[in-house]
Amino acid sequence: MNNTHMKRICICSGLSLVGALFALGIAQAKPPRSEAQAAQERAALFTAVAKGDALWHSPKLGTNGLACANCHPDGSATNVHTWPKFQTNLGKVGTLREMINWCIAVPMQGKVLEYDSNEMVAMEAYATYAHRGIAIDLGKDEQHGGVPVKSGPGYPRF
Amino acid sequence: MEKISRRQFLGMSTKAGAATLFTGIFAPTATSLFGLAGVAEAATKRVDPFTFAILTDAHLYDIKDHKFDDILRKGVADVNSMRPRPDFLLYAGDLGQSGKKAELLKGKKILDQLKMPYKIIPGEHDYYLDMGKAWRGLFGDEHWSFNHKGVHFIGMNSILVPDFWTLKGLTPRERMGMMEELECHQCGAWGVGEKQLEWLARDVKNVSPDTPVVIMTHSPLWDYYPRWNFQTYDAPQIRETLRKFDKVIAIHGHVHQVVYNEIGNIRSSGLLSTSWPWPYPPVKLDYPQIKQRRSDPGDFEDGLGAADLALNSDFDAIIHWREFSDLLPANIKNGLKI
Repeated sequence: MNNTHMKRICICSGLSLVGALFALGIAQAKPPRSEAQAAQERAALFTAVAKGDALWHSPKLGTNGLACANCHPDGSATNVHTWPKFQTNLGKVGTLREMINWCIAVPMQGKVLEYDSNEMVAMEAYATYAHRGIAIDLGKDEQHGGVPVKSGPGYPRF
Repeated sequence: MEKISRRQFLGMSTKAGAATLFTGIFAPTATSLFGLAGVAEAATKRVDPFTFAILTDAHLYDIKDHKFDDILRKGVADVNSMRPRPDFLLYAGDLGQSGKKAELLKGKKILDQLKMPYKIIPGEHDYYLDMGKAWRGLFGDEHWSFNHKGVHFIGMNSILVPDFWTLKGLTPRERMGMMEELECHQCGAWGVGEKQLEWLARDVKNVSPDTPVVIMTHSPLWDYYPRWNFQTYDAPQIRETLRKFDKVIAIHGHVHQVVYNEIGNIRSSGLLSTSWPWPYPPVKLDYPQIKQRRSDPGDFEDGLGAADLALNSDFDAIIHWREFSDLLPANIKNGLKI
């Protein structure tokens, strides 16, 4: 048996093994989440969305009474599906988080958030939730009203 | 130009009775001074051409030297600079933000700088701290009508909701706080309610159908986007009551934007605020060409403004949205014929 023949056998065996694994549905690197885990993770996300909703409507982020929701009800006109993009008032290609901080600092005259703070992540989660299902369109120049929202307390709202 | 007198403005016949001194706004008894007979007599088909101005949605805060104070002052200065001078101004609600008397007083002081009389209705931000008590103390009736140069003007309070606070045990401040959110999830849909519907029916009962009518409410008299109370739940009844008229011009605040719609004989125009602009909600507009440009967040006056309405003898009207920044596309830059 020469080397070439050995290689063929190895390759064939390898492919067969991969095929068999796919057929059994166990090709993932780790086992799938349990339903309980998935529910927990989803609950954690909606806790963040709800926290973002509360912050969004709070005048406490600013000093002049304004909240994000004054101008952006239901997270509208945040256009989360268009970021990052060149934003004139930022003077550069920036992110949604930078725009959130700009709004806190300038129109609301408040103190900016740490970019990786729980508060900032929650605000981003809320605004993004308000645009779920809308196709990402980087840099698109539009003002979007967000997704029509069903009224009622709590999350998720579909 | 001299201030128009109260008597001239109201178009009252001499027998309509003793006019009280004019103090910048109408006295709380203005509505009762009319009576139905006065309405019927004063209304004629032909209009003596005139212009009136509109401001709305200042959302003043009880904070010293707040930026919105200056924007309302700018609106007042803009209206005062209009030539020919408007005969009067209509204010479409939300003078204050949180219903505080201090906010409304501040607003009244600024509006009192107008060089013409004005007439005002409440918005939800003026109202839900004390259920309109401070507002009524300063401005009088929440609904009214008057005749001017052949036109019958109506103002109504369209921001009334069923009691959502008593069962929840909310404080007045908590109630107001919930109403301050445009997207309040538990506050319910706004309307004018039964009493005002009955009043309206009585008010127009003896007004002939060829009378030009202008009606002002805070919220639109059509289902634009109920989610944000861009609606009035009993607007269908209002439209039914007004159906007999050849033409009705409706103006409304609340939406903080240029928007237009026609339903039957009613032509509705939304107005720019002097606080902040709102985006167009996620619904299809019936008149998508009548729309302001997207505003620049870096320009605090962009998306804001005043308005005027010029009426000719046939009740043809042109509404001018008077934006503080370059906001309007060419098709409505010089006004919209309505």
